[in-house]
Amino acid sequence: MNEEKNKNIKIGLEIHFQVKGRKLFCSCEGEESDNYRGKIVRRLRASAGEFSNTDLAAIQEERKRNEFEYLITDNSCLVEMDEEPPHSPSQDAISGAFIVSFILGCTPVDNIDFMRKMVIDGSNTSGFQRTGIIGINGVFHHNDRKIGIASVTLEEEACKKIEQKGNVVTYSLDRLGIPLIEVSTEPDIRSPREAREIAEALGIAVRRSGYIRREVSSIRQDVNISLDSGNRVEIKGVQSLSQIQEVLEYEIERQTILNEIAVKLRGRGVRSFDLKPLSINEIANSWKSNIVIKAISEKKEVIAFRLEGLSGFLNNGKYRLGREIAERLRVSGIGGIIHSDELPNYGITSENIVKLKEYLSCGEEDAFAFIIVDKDSKANALKIIEERLNEALIGVPAETRAATPDGTKFLRPLPGKSRMYPETDIPIIKVDHNFLDEIKKKIPPTVKERASHLMNLGVSEQEAMNAIWKEYDDILENFIREFGNPKSVAKLLAVVFSKQEKDLDKAARILSLLKEGLITKDVLEDLYNESDKNLSGISKSKEESLESVIKEIVDSNIELVRERGNDSFKPIMGEAMKKLRGKVDGSKVSEALKKEIESRIRGMESNK
Amino acid sequence: MFENIKPGDEIEVRWKYQLLNGILISKNHDFMIIKLKNGYNLAIDYSHIQSLNVISENKPLKLTREEIRGSGKKVTIIGTGGTIASYVDYSTGAVKPLENAQDVLYAEPDLLKLGDIDAEVLFNIFSEDMNQKYWKILAKKVYEKISEGNGVVVAHGTDTMSFSASALSFLIENPSAPIIFTGSQRSSDRPSSDAYFNLLGAVKVAQSDLGEVAVVMHSSMNDDYLSIHRAVKVRKMHTSRRDAFKSINAEIIGTISKDLDVNMQDYKKVKKDEMHLYENLSEKVGLVYYYPGMEKELLLKFLDRNDGLIIAGTGLGHISNDYIEDIKNIIDEGKIIAMTSQCLYGSVNLNVYSTGRRLIEAGVIPLGDMLPEVAYIKLSFLLGNFGQDDAKVLLAKNLRGELNERRKE
Repeated sequence: MNEEKNKNIKIGLEIHFQVKGRKLFCSCEGEESDNYRGKIVRRLRASAGEFSNTDLAAIQEERKRNEFEYLITDNSCLVEMDEEPPHSPSQDAISGAFIVSFILGCTPVDNIDFMRKMVIDGSNTSGFQRTGIIGINGVFHHNDRKIGIASVTLEEEACKKIEQKGNVVTYSLDRLGIPLIEVSTEPDIRSPREAREIAEALGIAVRRSGYIRREVSSIRQDVNISLDSGNRVEIKGVQSLSQIQEVLEYEIERQTILNEIAVKLRGRGVRSFDLKPLSINEIANSWKSNIVIKAISEKKEVIAFRLEGLSGFLNNGKYRLGREIAERLRVSGIGGIIHSDELPNYGITSENIVKLKEYLSCGEEDAFAFIIVDKDSKANALKIIEERLNEALIGVPAETRAATPDGTKFLRPLPGKSRMYPETDIPIIKVDHNFLDEIKKKIPPTVKERASHLMNLGVSEQEAMNAIWKEYDDILENFIREFGNPKSVAKLLAVVFSKQEKDLDKAARILSLLKEGLITKDVLEDLYNESDKNLSGISKSKEESLESVIKEIVDSNIELVRERGNDSFKPIMGEAMKKLRGKVDGSKVSEALKKEIESRIRGMESNK
Repeated sequence: MFENIKPGDEIEVRWKYQLLNGILISKNHDFMIIKLKNGYNLAIDYSHIQSLNVISENKPLKLTREEIRGSGKKVTIIGTGGTIASYVDYSTGAVKPLENAQDVLYAEPDLLKLGDIDAEVLFNIFSEDMNQKYWKILAKKVYEKISEGNGVVVAHGTDTMSFSASALSFLIENPSAPIIFTGSQRSSDRPSSDAYFNLLGAVKVAQSDLGEVAVVMHSSMNDDYLSIHRAVKVRKMHTSRRDAFKSINAEIIGTISKDLDVNMQDYKKVKKDEMHLYENLSEKVGLVYYYPGMEKELLLKFLDRNDGLIIAGTGLGHISNDYIEDIKNIIDEGKIIAMTSQCLYGSVNLNVYSTGRRLIEAGVIPLGDMLPEVAYIKLSFLLGNFGQDDAKVLLAKNLRGELNERRKE
């Protein structure tokens, strides 16, 4: 922890919440669907942004020249297909976004001005994501920490990626257009652990709005992190709260090492990289390496170059610069790079290496690498490698990376502001004062306020938080008001809401039986899990069962009563409880049994 | 309000007690739009601004660009406005036409790989503002360009593209090079725009031996094929889809694949030295869409103002029997009235029902499977360049492929 503080870690979160109801810019259902009804094929191109700079990240994607296939679902229409202009935004989504904005203490905008954020990886048919600011400059309080909220925005969800085969990427249109509320924090978070805590607490606070979809996949996080005022790195697609911490820990290590490499490279006197590529097809001809033999037979070029001062930094324990370069090449559709830190390998022998080193005039501290490319991609590949190496002299490049199960990987350069330009199909929407006044009335109590209210009703803190997190706190409160027994109600509802199918009617019937004293606390969960028949049995037995069962039992033990009088209670009680346990409270059974035994004894005496 | 600041200035605003820093995009009636550092535009009401400081004034970027051209067969792109050549107007936030067709070349450098591209903006108007005056200027300009033997691509708004294409089809007889209209249904400022594929395809067709006026637009919702439509048989059939243009009562001339291979069948090839430019269009023609309950006065007013009228009638080509007597009198005075169908698909036939036969007796000219809009343009062309009697005869004759005797669908 202390070590982390020394690194001056700055972490910011961007959390995306899917909003319930219709899609943001059309009337399609905002539910996921895999009911496919056809497909369309599209291509995208970068277009000039507002200030005539085509964005770097956009160009990167266009380099790949992908073709996109979109699967049409029963919940997608011409709007998602980019064949019809967007309709007016969903009023519900706007309301939800303002409520969230108020929950997080933001200042609401005067007008909603939707923008187009260029995203030409194909995940939006239009080539951009529509997004508008709802509130800015809020504060989120968590324990004694204050985390700045940069903005709350309302935007449209992207397509779901189905698969990629070669240069064809397939997406499904079902998710496209579901409203998203995006909460962006300032980089006020200081450790991966804190990031996880804040993400969780923010999630609970935002769900309090009541507008958020409940599905597991409905909340996604992006995180960004910088060390020691270095470049910011954005990490997309963090799937779970625990992954936030893992990914950030990985990223801190990665960035620390990159900074270390930069210092050491400068120490070795490297000032910049200027590759001098040499074709080594003739040298490589004699190698017994399958990769190289195959490449040469396919008429590809083997291009080698000296890497000044890089020996031991490409792939050597924690130093993995080679991997960083390979990731860059891969997103541009260029196959791998083979470098000296991983050799001898792939059938390339020490002898081969010595000769190549000599050919490239490598010094002690120098590494070398070669790439296998076709003519068309040669220049691009070398440019990419050179760019990445020059960034290594500075430390951490500004990048958008993707969260992976075991860390992060390069996606694209960090997008700039020029990827935003106005959405011209939607007029600027004036935010009415009366509307805001109505919205303010709907702001829910804070999590803290709500939890302490439930605790006052007699629920434990843990169960109160559980109810708030799973959004059944209102039901919990209503049930307690109706059935009493706060602890039992909370316990049963925790069971009910842990399941896929939630039968609140059944829970209410069980709790009403408890209230009437026909069943005991310890069987609530069992009853809920049993079939409905058992339950209706109990309600019928209300009058008849207890008395008639007791009568029956006493009848069959009448000799015992005759012989032992009131002392027969204990053994008969044992038998009665066997039949009635769980259905009737023990004290009631004993009371009824006592009464019955006494009346029998009285009867026997009067018969004497 | 805040007269001293101009778009492009970097400003610091105290708004609702929040300090904002950004670049002024525009000032509107009650709010100003500023672009924040994160790229978002924020529209803030003047009434909520407590203070404002200019941090630095706008220094307009001077884009000095050299005129660019490619190499290969020459094609002239003529801009008329519309979505294919548009930019975002930050004062209103609306899409506006490009000022300069060179911008199109900068926006789509792939064009330069296809040929020696010359670009020129003739008008900068919305296509709904098109009329006979513009068509005459356009025809003359196109005629000049193709007289040199090189094809022309007309970038046009899609709303009235088929009108303009028909007008040129009639005004330029036997063109000596292809005249290709194209446009886009998704504005060119978006990555998903159909503009560039359409434009590249149009340039390819403009380099072919097609001796007709054609429209090149998407074949389907996919970015895989373009269709080449005969100008006098095409119609915009959808408000927004990229495959809105369909050939009606005719087959398309051909297709263009995504690799820009042009494939054409049954088309008129260019013939040298037979080209003729007609310079006039009559503005005294009308097009009326008949509807049940239409007041007779209205129809008569149309006829009063014009020398000729095209009616889009119901079904096989009908209007209410109540008008027929008046119509007969007007035709007897020498005006031309011709019948097309609102159905668009299929041919009119005035022999089947008694109303039709009465219309024929009254002198209404049935126009077969000619599209109402094409018939309107044709009548404007005929009355502009021929006498009334010739016009009557020529109207029902096939001049440019606008009338088909055989329909397969």
